[in-house]
Amino acid sequence: MSRITIDPISRIEGHLRIDVDVEGGKVSKAWSSGTMWRGIENILQGRDPREAWIFAQRICGVCTTVHAIASVRSVENALGLEIPLNAQLIRNLIVIAHALHDHIVHFYQLSALDWVDVVSALKADPAKAASIAQSLSAWPGNSVQEMKAVQDKLKDFVGKGQLGIFTNGYWGHPAMKLPPEVNLIAVAHYLQALDYQRLALKAVAVLGSKTPNIQNLAVGGVANAINMDAAAPINMNKLFAVRSQLEKVVEFVQQVYFPDVCAVGGMYPEWLKYGAGVTNYMAMPELPTDAKATKFDRPGGIIWGGDLTKVRPITSWKDEYWEKNVTESIARSFYDGDWQKSPYDGTTDPKVTNWDADKRYSWVKAPRLEGKPVQVGPLADVLVSYVSGDPLTRKWADRCLEGAGKVAGAKLNPGMLQSTLGRIAARAIRAAVLSELAIKHWTLLAENIGKGDYAIYNEPKFPSGTIRGFGVHEAPRGTLSHWVVIENGKIKNYQAVVPSTWNAGPRDGKDQPGPYEASLVGNPIANPEKPLEALRTVHSFDPCLACAIHTHDGDGAEIAKVKVL
Amino acid sequence: MARVAVVGIGNVLNGDDGLGPYAVRVLEATWELPPEVEVVDAGTPGADLAALLEGVWAAVIVDAVSAKGPPGELRRYERTEILHAAPRLAMSPHEPGVREALLTMEFQGGGPREIVLLGAIPGDLELGTSLSPAVKAALPALLDGVVAELRRLGIEPCRRSEPLRPDIWWERPV
Repeated sequence: MSRITIDPISRIEGHLRIDVDVEGGKVSKAWSSGTMWRGIENILQGRDPREAWIFAQRICGVCTTVHAIASVRSVENALGLEIPLNAQLIRNLIVIAHALHDHIVHFYQLSALDWVDVVSALKADPAKAASIAQSLSAWPGNSVQEMKAVQDKLKDFVGKGQLGIFTNGYWGHPAMKLPPEVNLIAVAHYLQALDYQRLALKAVAVLGSKTPNIQNLAVGGVANAINMDAAAPINMNKLFAVRSQLEKVVEFVQQVYFPDVCAVGGMYPEWLKYGAGVTNYMAMPELPTDAKATKFDRPGGIIWGGDLTKVRPITSWKDEYWEKNVTESIARSFYDGDWQKSPYDGTTDPKVTNWDADKRYSWVKAPRLEGKPVQVGPLADVLVSYVSGDPLTRKWADRCLEGAGKVAGAKLNPGMLQSTLGRIAARAIRAAVLSELAIKHWTLLAENIGKGDYAIYNEPKFPSGTIRGFGVHEAPRGTLSHWVVIENGKIKNYQAVVPSTWNAGPRDGKDQPGPYEASLVGNPIANPEKPLEALRTVHSFDPCLACAIHTHDGDGAEIAKVKVL
Repeated sequence: MARVAVVGIGNVLNGDDGLGPYAVRVLEATWELPPEVEVVDAGTPGADLAALLEGVWAAVIVDAVSAKGPPGELRRYERTEILHAAPRLAMSPHEPGVREALLTMEFQGGGPREIVLLGAIPGDLELGTSLSPAVKAALPALLDGVVAELRRLGIEPCRRSEPLRPDIWWERPV
């Protein structure tokens, strides 16, 4: 048996570390540990709940908007405060644009290169690549000239003896199986994706008044004054600018990202067998279509034990069962004590000990629902809405399974999505669903404003005494919740239970592993020095742990330490 | 489109890691900058840094710097020094840094032609919303450095006769 440690020495601190035991070419046991950003309550205690979101969105530079949204929803939940319909819809458009951006970035920049061999693209026949790409979609960027230009660019780089941004991939690894032409298509789309992620950010910037940190939220609504005639934060020109940006991103998602995932996925069907891990799934209702948030375009619910015949629906942001059954365990984390508590009562008192696989080994707490580990993220979201019968989800999921199945020469079913590859496919399915909803919600907003409704804000009033509430958001990486206790109008306690905590969290007091840990078990590892297969599974969750420190590394460092014991 | 970007990077909730956002806000409050200069408090943009640098021909990045030396000591890196190490294997979208943004833009065939990174070595990166005394003391020299870079790029910043109050909202006491 050998133990592999994959430890990217990213910043001074703030990263994800994975340890796996390998026996007979397979992972037999895994540990996930990380330096989750912690202690938001230590900063927010005593502050005005109306400004909590401004601090909360600085928890993480990648997930700025999502923390801002969960934060205002938590305070509104505590107050029982409704917000105007325009505010819901403007928030929804920010949520959708941000999610599309995030999913595109994840596939092309962070996970595709686990499956795509960039160096192999040099051997491709550009004409053949173009013809394969054109058989997948009518995207104008699939021409022979485009493929040739990208290959020439790559040749130029390699000719200079460097691979630039692609320097540290596992090129030539035996687990890389795509033909050179498909690799070339993927590299071409990798480059094109950069333009579309920028466009999605621009839409967020117009709606949120600024990026990367938006400025338009308020407890009680949004701060985008609506006036159709003047140079107001929201006017006709700006609405149409957003529409045009969204349309381009929608086209990219439907004609490039989604078909790419189906095609590449279809060439790795064996990865539908690995990586299921924890098969309890949870998603929150999202994209409300009314001011009271009683109707949602994305259903919420819970699936236990991978049983896709039933779902326990969650139809409200005030779901008491959920509120009562979420706890966090610190039994295996670097904190003082050994408790399992509701986030309302949670504390963050670090107690540093050595990394010990049998004792404490992570800064991440272990969230549990009914005491059980639960997987969150696009796979959970897609399965919950598929089983709930959501037509848009069924349409895109069935299309994906059919497309990938054709490439694989096999009949695929939704149950197979419970895997490493399924998590990547689910993200593309979710992006396609959201791309349709982008246009729908833009239209809802334009129509509502067209009726003469310019309301954007209901003023919050804080009672004396203690109130508490939770705010949920089905974020790109899954269910995010902020929990706030307010005493006489000031914050008394505040906890953020982020999606990567649910997925990357360690074992709990009952020794139940978290989703990353469970999903790695059984993964093949061809070469312990180059554990590409483990990275495939970890990346499939879209980890977001390094929320802390972003110091520039002046002295230079190794890319990642892979240590084989 | 702005020609020159001054970009402060860092997490304002992590002590000295907030140096970049802090410094660019003080810069704007102290100096009047011509309209072609865009000042951005970028927080911790990760993979999105390349998007923020789109269309600028020169960028001055201000960041806390992990290097050997006492807290508060200033550092300056030019493009070749930023690029001298290999890009990291990214585990999460945070990990792409300045180096990775430049390499990505290079492969795309773009990116700022001029780039320089100025920063100081942090003392305290623990949870907290203020700079440590050593890093705060280094701030005036760091800002002089940023102004000198802008002048080198042909920009003429003008010291405000009455400085504005910088909006360091995270430093406000409870």
